[in-house]
Amino acid sequence: MKNKNLIYYLMLFIVVCFYSCKQEGEYHSITDKIEADQKPYHGNLSSEELLAGTDLIQIIEGEHTFLIPERKGQIKSYACIECHSKPLNEMKGVDSQKAHWDIKINHAALETMDCATCHNPDNMNNLKSLTGKDIDYNLSYKLCAQCHSRQFEDWKGGAHGKKVAGWAPPRASMTCVNCHNPHNPGFETRWPVQFNTQKVKERKDDLGH
Amino acid sequence: MSESKKWFSLDLDLNKKSESSGTCGCGNTQESCGSSHKQEELSAEEFYEAAINASIGDERKKDGFEQVFDVQMDRRDAFKKLTASLLIGAGAVSSCTSVVQGADSKEKAQIDWEEQFKGNYKLMTDDEKKQTVDRLMRSYELRTGKNINMSSKNAEEDVLFGYAFNISKCQGYMNCVTACVEENNQDRKSQMQYIRIHEMKDGKGFNFNEADDNYYHEVPAEGHFYMGTQCFHCDNPPCVDVCPVQATWKEEDGLVVIDYDWCVGCRYCMAACPYDGRRFNWSKPEVPENEINKNQHYLGNRIRKKGVMEKCTFCVQRSRKGKNPACVEACPTGARIFGNLLDPDSTIRWVLENKKVFRLKEDLGTEPKFWYFMD
Ligand code: SF4
Ligand code: SF4
Repeated sequence: MKNKNLIYYLMLFIVVCFYSCKQEGEYHSITDKIEADQKPYHGNLSSEELLAGTDLIQIIEGEHTFLIPERKGQIKSYACIECHSKPLNEMKGVDSQKAHWDIKINHAALETMDCATCHNPDNMNNLKSLTGKDIDYNLSYKLCAQCHSRQFEDWKGGAHGKKVAGWAPPRASMTCVNCHNPHNPGFETRWPVQFNTQKVKERKDDLGH
Repeated sequence: MSESKKWFSLDLDLNKKSESSGTCGCGNTQESCGSSHKQEELSAEEFYEAAINASIGDERKKDGFEQVFDVQMDRRDAFKKLTASLLIGAGAVSSCTSVVQGADSKEKAQIDWEEQFKGNYKLMTDDEKKQTVDRLMRSYELRTGKNINMSSKNAEEDVLFGYAFNISKCQGYMNCVTACVEENNQDRKSQMQYIRIHEMKDGKGFNFNEADDNYYHEVPAEGHFYMGTQCFHCDNPPCVDVCPVQATWKEEDGLVVIDYDWCVGCRYCMAACPYDGRRFNWSKPEVPENEINKNQHYLGNRIRKKGVMEKCTFCVQRSRKGKNPACVEACPTGARIFGNLLDPDSTIRWVLENKKVFRLKEDLGTEPKFWYFMD
């Protein structure tokens, strides 16, 4: 009998706890709150205005659909066949115009890749996959994804890389070549853009903390 | 308020006149004009004095307890004081011969008066928010002859801001710090910075005591990694709980903000923040006029004054328009990710669900909305 009462009280207590928690719109943790209140955003804010000046194309990769900047329009000498009108070895001559002289590959070891790993001498207007299939310049990320599969996964989800403009939908993400030079993709070491001289002074005088 | 219309009457000519403060309406210089310009300038302070005297009189010389219980005032007295304060409030005490200058300074006085006695922004209605922002814009125009754009935009529905920082990506370039200082009109004299980038030794964990947040050498340095901190916009912010005047609070979209006009500068919040997120204005903030970011928000990057607290607001003036904070935009490595935590399709949510994320001092229960992760 006593035990039963106790159980009833306990149940009542739990119910009260439960309600008091939810009623105030309070959650035990931020993750609970996010889970409870989440819904796809269709609010007033949008990045559309911010993206207005950028040429974008939509891509669908797995479950992700988003926009990336169009590329061909940004390449100064596209289309390539405007110069590459004959096979490459016929163009290598002393009398012809020099081009691409400034490109030095600093990407992977030479056994792993050379120009022809990505470029097709017989079809300069497209990139070339490892199995010899054409890849459009606009979709150059497919080329990178062949080796950099982990980065590719992160990029698709949004953990790698930058947005083109704001956080608000629609999602427009920079593509690989917007940040990395494909011929020299690493980031340089350089000096920080600033140095706080005041902080040095404060710390010397032991004013700061 | 019928008066409020007047503040927007954009008359550049008038403003130019008031800017060249040596001349008054009669076209002569101060000395020869015969009017008492100097006194007019001074009278701003006298004006306050008189205004405060008129409105609270003796009370101001006593404090707290005494003030409440010691004041004797019969109805006549009270009425007299009230009338006086109203007269001053209406700008009736002005003695300049110049009509233009007079009108301007009257308006300035009116604005100052209303700003002085306005309420806490947190409790204002949307109309009142708009009014104070209008006053601040007009006051800036009157003082400098230049226009700023200040917003009082409220939090959007279904938005909760969150941030993720990729430790393996940050290279320590500090572009974010510079962008933040410029965006948020931070004091250049004391070189205030909301963001700190901590250079940490590999293999030592997150050891803030041994980290250097003011390095100056080529980065990334051998054997080091970089970790940025700023205000984490805690969901359970201890800084908000301790504020004795409720000058700081959490908005609906999760931003922890400060009403710079309500803050009394006690610095309790600074002591309560476990993340070194807050910065105090020990002196009057100085930003060169041509570097001022004129796109402002009341709760964000508007010009602060001496003796108030400030901190990162996730660039409220930007984020509430759908933009990314300045630091996110400036980061050349993509180490900073910002977005809407309530939107299951947002990239920040993907990071939280697919990367191994953690927060600093999670055991404190502050629930920061700022996560760290690695590739
Ligand atoms: S990080 Fe500090 S200042 Fe920011 S909300 Fe949390 S406790 Fe407050
Ligand atoms: S410094 Fe300002 S915001 Fe901070 S606790 Fe004191 S009054 Fe509140």
